[in-house]
Amino acid sequence: MWQSSDTSLDIMLEPGGDLEDLRCGVRDWCAAHVPVDWRDRQRGVSHERLVEFMRWWGGCLREAGLLAPHWPREWGGGFTIREQIVIAEELARGDAPRNGLYHVGIFNVAPTLVHSATAEQRARFLPGIWNGEVWCQGYSEPNAGSDLASLQTRAERDGEHYVVNGQKVWTSWAKEADWCMLLARTDVSAPKHKGISCLIVDMRTPGIEVRPIKQAWGPADFNEVFFDDVVVPTEGLIGAENNGWAVAQGTLAAERAVAIIDMTERLRCNGIEAAAAEAVAWRLENGQPALDDDVVRETLAERYAEVRVLRHMLDGMIDDILRGADVGGTSSIIKVFYTELLYKLTKYVTDLQGVAGQLDAPVLACAGWETAFWMNDYIHSFGWIIGGGTNDIQRNVIGDRMLGLPR
Amino acid sequence: MALTLEERGELRSAARSLLGRDSSTERVRAAIARTAGFDRALWDQMVELGWTTIHVPGVRGGSGCGYADLGVVLHELGRNITPSPFLASAVLATGALLLADNDRVAAPALAAVTAGEALGAVALASTGGSYDRACLTTSWEGTAVSMRLQGSSGFVLDADVATVLVVAARARDGTVAVLAVEAADPRVRIERVATVDETRRLFTVSFDDVVVGGDALLCEPGAPAEELFERVLAIGVIATACDAAGVAERMLESAAEYAKVRTQFGKPIGSFQAVKHRCADITIAVEAARAATRAATETLDGDLAEWSTTAAVTSSYVGPACAEACAQGLLVHGGIGFTWEHDSHLYLKRAKLDEVLFGTPSWHRRRLADAVFPGRAAS
Repeated sequence: MWQSSDTSLDIMLEPGGDLEDLRCGVRDWCAAHVPVDWRDRQRGVSHERLVEFMRWWGGCLREAGLLAPHWPREWGGGFTIREQIVIAEELARGDAPRNGLYHVGIFNVAPTLVHSATAEQRARFLPGIWNGEVWCQGYSEPNAGSDLASLQTRAERDGEHYVVNGQKVWTSWAKEADWCMLLARTDVSAPKHKGISCLIVDMRTPGIEVRPIKQAWGPADFNEVFFDDVVVPTEGLIGAENNGWAVAQGTLAAERAVAIIDMTERLRCNGIEAAAAEAVAWRLENGQPALDDDVVRETLAERYAEVRVLRHMLDGMIDDILRGADVGGTSSIIKVFYTELLYKLTKYVTDLQGVAGQLDAPVLACAGWETAFWMNDYIHSFGWIIGGGTNDIQRNVIGDRMLGLPR
Repeated sequence: MALTLEERGELRSAARSLLGRDSSTERVRAAIARTAGFDRALWDQMVELGWTTIHVPGVRGGSGCGYADLGVVLHELGRNITPSPFLASAVLATGALLLADNDRVAAPALAAVTAGEALGAVALASTGGSYDRACLTTSWEGTAVSMRLQGSSGFVLDADVATVLVVAARARDGTVAVLAVEAADPRVRIERVATVDETRRLFTVSFDDVVVGGDALLCEPGAPAEELFERVLAIGVIATACDAAGVAERMLESAAEYAKVRTQFGKPIGSFQAVKHRCADITIAVEAARAATRAATETLDGDLAEWSTTAAVTSSYVGPACAEACAQGLLVHGGIGFTWEHDSHLYLKRAKLDEVLFGTPSWHRRRLADAVFPGRAAS
């Protein structure tokens, strides 16, 4: 079983204080609670053990008040953007496990609920997320990937219920999920963006079947989800009927940028700095330590500089959001920049390791994209390039929305 | 104090409107054909508008804003590929004089340069273009009372119009000194080296037994001089990065505009994903370069200890990214982009020079690695 390194430091971190005090507080908390051997112990564990670990870790964050710093105060958050940045930086530097199991609920569903749901819905679902309910997001379909708005899953109104039929795919954590935020077509005659509704579906409803999909890098947190005459009460409708596309787009919140700051800091600490530290021990064909080689040093430094530049872009975007300026396609730029940087780094280190880098090893699934099993991290990086709107689509968005190029 | 965001926006619009008119590419092409290589009337206006003192503290007769605000002007000069001694004089020479410990020589020179009465230039590179202090090709010898300079410095911006030259030299025992030398000294020889980018003018400055007094030293030789050298180098790297970001931004606008109006196969070429994605990649580079240069100029206004690392990060990313953005932008223009008449090559050539003017990205990356990664096992 999992246990914190030092349970004597059971503190609840609060917003509104001095930033440096908060930084020290999170740092001390990490030192006391992040198990020093968690990476070694989590490598190669079963899916069930992984889920168990993430539930335990989510509980630790909840007790410390760090589970959802960006939420409104009344629901357990209340940290300012500057405070959220400090927390993200320190969790990354403290090598805290990533909170993947709860990510959809905390970062995607909750902001949508805060923005578009009724007071009753918020009161019903936000405490649940806080207390450990798992959510999944029923968006992509086999024939609606990049062209998400062409989705075909139907939700037909039948009195006080919708009856849902269709299939979703690439649904993270559907097997563990208590709830699903589902996009389904409620008006087949309307233009494709205008006939979609956003529904909250209880994953225990009869008629739902979840089949895990094993991914190219090994784990199976992805799933296909089949809906066969699934009855969903109309209270589960978020926002107006047929307005689901707008609800799902939501607003690009600063919190999402903070979530990428977390990943950027991890890329620096667990990616590049770790690669440089490891490269001290790696040998090139001539027996020379890899980090003694000018080209290796240069290339890793180039990636290091890109991480710094990415951070500057994020800081700039957050400043713009706080000023109320339109950040438009900046999030697409950041998505492309981050994911392709991750790809370049993991590919380079894999190449550097030569055939030794091709040896199989146990996979670490809750550390993000930098686990020091570089070949696997490289394969994993494709998931980010493809997911969340492929980089090809992001480049269309940049061309269309930022430059006004013709479609 | 730094300008507010609103004031910075006003500075940007004022610069854009002045340079849009007086540094249009027609004017740029005319200016580079002149002997002086720049438009004196435009320079006078820039001085009048206070651009040369933006980063000079109030007590030294400046407006006391800072490098973050100066960066706005540099970005706009890049957008308009303006030929101007601004970088050499207002940024580098002024920057060096501001950092000098020796007020006896620095203060009068600084006053003349910031007032626009005199121009300055900075000679830090070797004749091979290296900014490694061990490679300096100008040497000094002598005492604190009288020193002799021998050798040459390479790739000095706008040396022929300068009155005061800030020169780095190395003694036989390796001790570095940074001195102020009068360009009019008959033993100083200034020769133009033609560069592919005609909007910038570079010179080899040779010292044929030039004798200067000890008061020409901007600071103590040795560690203080090395620190001054590094700081001025950092200013140069970051200033050219601001310029490059402006150049690339202008190229992006030109490429996007062309992609909208040029039709082939009955459609604007910007509707083809191959072209659209090329434009998107330029956008990513420009956005990243803007963020990086903004942050870097803020560092110049802040923590001195961070200058060198920040300069290395900036050179590592911004120079290559902006040069490549200009290359890709030229390609979006197709055949017309490959003509002398079209401006694309002017942007590309300026961005390529910016990329390496203060040290290659590769050299800066190695320095960055030394600063942030573990050292070599062998050493």
